[in-house]
Amino acid sequence: MSEALVVWLKATPVSEAMRTSQFIWPICETLHFIGLALLIGGAGLIDLRLMGFLKSVSVSAVMQVRKWAALGIAINVVTGVLFFVGAPDQYIENPAWYGKLLFLAVAIVNVVIFETTQGDRMLRLPPGEKTPISFKLAGAVSMGSWLLVLYFGRMLPFLGNAF
Amino acid sequence: MMELLQALEGSAFSTWLRESPSIWAYPTILTLHTVGLGVLVGANWMVDLRVLGFARAIPGSVLTRAFPMMWAGFWLNAVTGALLFVGDPTTKGTTAVFMWKLVMVAVGVALMIALKRRLYGREMDTGPASAGVKAIAATSLVLWIGAIGAGRWMAYV
Repeated sequence: MSEALVVWLKATPVSEAMRTSQFIWPICETLHFIGLALLIGGAGLIDLRLMGFLKSVSVSAVMQVRKWAALGIAINVVTGVLFFVGAPDQYIENPAWYGKLLFLAVAIVNVVIFETTQGDRMLRLPPGEKTPISFKLAGAVSMGSWLLVLYFGRMLPFLGNAF
Repeated sequence: MMELLQALEGSAFSTWLRESPSIWAYPTILTLHTVGLGVLVGANWMVDLRVLGFARAIPGSVLTRAFPMMWAGFWLNAVTGALLFVGDPTTKGTTAVFMWKLVMVAVGVALMIALKRRLYGREMDTGPASAGVKAIAATSLVLWIGAIGAGRWMAYV
């Protein structure tokens, strides 16, 4: 199954362009690192506030940077899919890649649970107010899982076979 | 200069940085360099974007709180960057794109200091930032993109 997927993906024009162009891969990597910095900057700020830092700013004000974190995620999903299409064989048997996907899933499930159960309460929390334990937990899980996504991404060539 | 770089490359420490199979050597240094990049550039971009007029609900006066984080990211990357250089001095020390990266980082840090001075002046507490401060923020934003691009490109020379 995965063998057939690899063969099929590598035969696509997008995959060939990713591998044969001298510039597309490094440009996508640069974009991937730009997305990484937007995500750490945006999500990191929100996570710190949820964990109880920067109390003088209301949670709803801090949430205004969420769109920049979302832009970072969007850039990285697009470039990440391009890397996978370009060289699927270096990810599909790479333990670091599965670690990355696992903690990406943890980060997404965490934010969905938090938004659906605490979303309204979060936006009403005034400046100077301490955050409840559920907020601190969600912030810590978010920061920890994004850092692990970065860790396993960076480890793709070392724990596995990626270049 | 080249003799100096070659002597450095021949040192036991340089060889260890380059050839150690340990996950705690090169891979960990590289990972920490990436974390430092995210913290420094990510925090600086959030300040830049706020100065440029986004996320206005965040008070201008709290932006100074982001600077210790940027400095933490900077020093983490100064140390890990120096180690990465020591592991590969004859290539990095003679590569134009590496020099460009250093110049962009130096100017980026200078702009970060300039921005901090102006934010301590509480310029943004009463209204939008002046055109001069916005110009600093916009230049900073673009320079970090250049520094990241140059850093990535170093893997291909």
